[in-house]
Order: sequence, then structure tokens, then C-alpha cells
Amino acid sequence: MISFPVLLGVLLIGFLLLQVVPTDPATVVAGPTATKAEVDAIRDDLGLNQPLWIQFGRYLGRVFQLDLGRSMISNRAVVDEIALTLWPTVELMLACLVWAVPLGITLGTLAARRRGTAIDRAIMALSVMGVSVPIFWVGLLLIQYVGGAGLLPFQGRNGPIWTADGALSIILPAVTLGSVFVGPVARMTRTSLLETLGADYVRTARAKGASDWRVTIRHALRNAMIPVVTLVGLQIGFLLGGSIVTETMFAWPGVGRMAVGAITSSDFPLAQGAILILAVGFMAINLLVDVLYAYLDPRIARG
Amino acid sequence: MTDTALPLQSQADQRAIAAIRRKNAVWRRILSDPPAAIAALFLIVIVGAALLAPWIAPFDPYASNMRMRLCPIGGARCPDFLLGADNQGRDMVTRILFGLRATLGIGIIAVVVGGGLGALIGLSAAYFRRLDQPLMRLVDVLLSFPSILFGLAIAAVMGTGLFSLVVALSIASVPSIARIARGAAQSIMQQEYMEAGRAVGLGDGALIWRYLALNCWPTILIYMTLQLGQAILLGAALSFLGLGAQPPTAELGSMAADGRKFLSIAPHVSTLPCAAIFLVVLAFNVLGDALRDALDPKLRQ
Repeated sequence: MISFPVLLGVLLIGFLLLQVVPTDPATVVAGPTATKAEVDAIRDDLGLNQPLWIQFGRYLGRVFQLDLGRSMISNRAVVDEIALTLWPTVELMLACLVWAVPLGITLGTLAARRRGTAIDRAIMALSVMGVSVPIFWVGLLLIQYVGGAGLLPFQGRNGPIWTADGALSIILPAVTLGSVFVGPVARMTRTSLLETLGADYVRTARAKGASDWRVTIRHALRNAMIPVVTLVGLQIGFLLGGSIVTETMFAWPGVGRMAVGAITSSDFPLAQGAILILAVGFMAINLLVDVLYAYLDPRIARG
Repeated sequence: MTDTALPLQSQADQRAIAAIRRKNAVWRRILSDPPAAIAALFLIVIVGAALLAPWIAPFDPYASNMRMRLCPIGGARCPDFLLGADNQGRDMVTRILFGLRATLGIGIIAVVVGGGLGALIGLSAAYFRRLDQPLMRLVDVLLSFPSILFGLAIAAVMGTGLFSLVVALSIASVPSIARIARGAAQSIMQQEYMEAGRAVGLGDGALIWRYLALNCWPTILIYMTLQLGQAILLGAALSFLGLGAQPPTAELGSMAADGRKFLSIAPHVSTLPCAAIFLVVLAFNVLGDALRDALDPKLRQ
């Protein structure tokens, strides 16, 4: 329930954004030929003379009815614009998680099993590099060497992911976004696995004569997954940041690119809607992670 | 009578203790770890070069010269430009030195302002028990929120530019430093000298400043170093998106975005700033990890 005040804060920011719009909504509604008295009447009608907190209350009411206003540039309803961009963003995030998380877990397991060896050190060095690299550099290199060579498309989304063209066009963005995610997952898996490998039940499993890899995977890794799931959940915000950059670079028609475009072109209603949906989406994912967490560790569900 | 007062430590003891202290000094441990030592050295050089950019840079970062436009590294057109020229014919070495200056400066200001505020919150939460719950709830809320969204929201409300960038990065640095400061301060609150200070009648302000803050600051400073790498990366990303520093300002993120248009004909224009960001952040992360290991005896083996 921690997210409730955040939601209110985000809504407040969204409301404030609409307050900084340089044009007066009443003048726009009244049209260019209206007299001053008419404009005043319309302003009264729209409730623009009321105190800000009452206007904020009315804004909340509109948001809950999914009325986020109209884009100042395309003049389409902000909700419709969001509906168009939401799925591409979800698609991109899933396409990133689907390869980055398993690879991270594999590398982390390998590093933990070969602790102290050159393999371990190499994997850990890669992981530090992964958290230090600016994501746009990864994207630029891929565009330059893979996209530039004509191997894979790198501009826009050529269709839904289940079509061949769509699947091809998501590869480079998904690789870019995932590249910064493998490192933290590998690192967390390694730390967590090293802890569980020292646990009593692992010794018991060894005493029963289970093979080394069986102990690692069946007994230790499962229990080590809980902190990893937490990490993935915590890093979703980080992933969101990465996806904003990735979408912008690859002209991927998602929410992040729309948000950046709306801000740089001063399309305040659209910016407000995009920031709102990014924040709400982030909170929804956090909730999902909590549920998953309880599923992985039944002790948590029981309280 | 003076002889009966036992000296607590003989001179030999004191020498031995001093020797152990020296051996365990944080900087000595850092130096004995080759990657961390290299990172520290690299950062000293880089920060020095960034500070001295106006004096050591060979050219003017804003003077364009179209004859040198997009000159590659080692190109015959620009023998004086060690790393080639950008799309305005400006020397890349100069641009990167000034870019480092801006990027590092933005990150450092943001971490000092945000970290200072975070430290204040953390110390207050530890000192005034009643404030602990509300303050830490607020910090949790800030911490749970993706920092890039602060960047977007602030750029949207205040307009794009360096000032909004610094504000966004500062806010993003507050929560983690606040947590660290609270943790450090709580362990000091348990020390007997806190009670002694109170017993001799020191006020809250004196206790917080002289006893809490002065004892906590090394820990806080180290976590600020760790935070710096993240702040630089986020700042560069926001500038890359066009929400922070604007061209022609020499800032590494916006330089990388600017050079994107010439990726196929002159990749060095965007690759060099990217590589510079990578190396600086990598050095901060390596050094930060080493500092944390050196200070946390649990992890040391």
C-alpha cells in the first residue's frame, strides 16, 4: 500500500503539468471571435475560476473516468494515444526479460560454482561493466555494426511480435535493453547461491549422494531465486528507464518514446498522460512481483 | 603519586596500534587491490583534467571550422586534432574535456545537494525518534520510484535544461543516502558518548552536528561516491534524450546524441563521448565496490 501516496504524488504532478500550459483553455474553447464576456463565461463554465484544490479534485474525477484530455498536437484523446503505445512497450520489456534473466541466472550460477576461478572473475567483471555502460552506447554499437550492415532492422516496429517482420524488428531493441540487465541478475544470483550452498539442507542433499549439479540446481538454486525475483522486481524501474532510451533510439512506438516526444514538443496533456501511465505501470509490476514472491516462498503468504 | 596512575598504553603499545591502524587504513586496502587502485588513479587524472579543461584543452570547444567537419581520427585534414573533429569541425579532445567537466560537474553538484539533503533526513530520523517513521516512509516512496521518471516529470514541469537536470538528479540521490545516513547515525546513537553529551547539557543542534554528523560523514561520503556513478549515468541518459543539457553545450550525453546522425560516416563523434562516460562510471563503480568491501568487514575474507 506504499504506492498509494506515490500515485497521489504522480497525479499531482500530472495536474500541475496541465496548469503550466501556456494557452488559456477558455480562449481556445471560445474561439477567436469570442468577446471577453463570452470567454469569461466559458472560463466560469469550465470551473477555471475555482481554487486549485477543487480543480485538482475534478481532475482526479476525470482521471478515474479515463479522461486524460487531448493531445495538443494530434488532437486525439490521450487515452487513445496511450492505448496504441502500451502494447509495444510491454512487448519490448518481455522480449528483454525473456533472454536477459535466464542468461543472468546461468552466468550467476556458473560464477558461484566456479567461485574464485578465472571464470568467476570474468563473469563478475562483465557484470560490473554491464552496470556501468550507458545503454545508448550499446544501442549505437548495435545500430552501427548490426543494423548498418543490413543484418537486422533497427528503425521502428514492423508489426506485432508474432509476425516474422515484427519478431525481427524487436531483436535489436530487446538485446540493447537486456544488455544492462544481465549483469545485476548474474551478480545477485551468485551472491544468493553462495549463501544457500552453505545451508544445512544442501549438506544433507550432498550426504544423500546427490550429484554436484543436482544439488546446485534442485536444492540451492530454487531457494536462491527469491532474492533474484526481488531484484528483478526492484530493477523494473531501472528497466523502465532503459526502455525509454531504447524506444527513442530505435524509433520503437512505445510509451517511453511518446513521453519524451511529448515533453520536448511541449504537448503537456500527452506528457501528463504518458508519465501517469508509466508510473501506474511501474506500480502494477511491483504488485505483481509481490504476488510472485509469495508464490515462491509460501512463508511470506502466511505472514 | 603521579607514578601510581597507570599509563593505559605504553609507548610500544601505541606504536603497535598505530602500525595496525596504518595497515588497515582504507586507502591502503584500496591500493592493494589492483583494479581499485587503477580506478582511483584514473579518476584522479580525469577529475584533474576536467577541472583544468579551460587551461589544458588545445582548442576552443565552441569554435566551429567547417573545413575540418567530421574529420576522422588521424585524418590528414586535421593533423592537430588527436581524436578527429565533430560535425561542426570542433576538436574532439577539447569537446570531451569540456564534456567531462559538464557531466562530472552536474553529477557532483546533484550528489552533494541531494546527498546533503538525504544526510539531513537520515540524521534527523535517527536522532528524533518520532520523525523516524514518517521520514523513512517518505524515503521508501522516493526509493521505490524509478529515478528516470523524476527526470521526465521535472523536465515536463520546469522545461528541459541543465537546471531541471540537476534538480532531477538531486532528488534521485536523496533516498539512498538518507537510508545510509540513518543506519550510520543509529549505531552512533547507541554509543555512550551520546548520553554523556546529553548529560553535560548539550543541545540537540550541538549533539547532531558534533557527535552525529562528524562521526557519520566518512560513511556518507563513501556512499556518495557510489551514487555518483549512477547519477552520471542517469544524467547522461536524460541529456541523450534531449531532456538535459542542450546542444551546443559540451556535455557527454548530448554529444553522443548529436553524433548519432553521423554514425555511418563518422562513428567516432558519438562513440568517443560514450566511451568516456563508460570509463568514468566503470571507475566509480569499481572504486565504490572496493570501498564498500574495505569498510564492511563481513564481506572481507
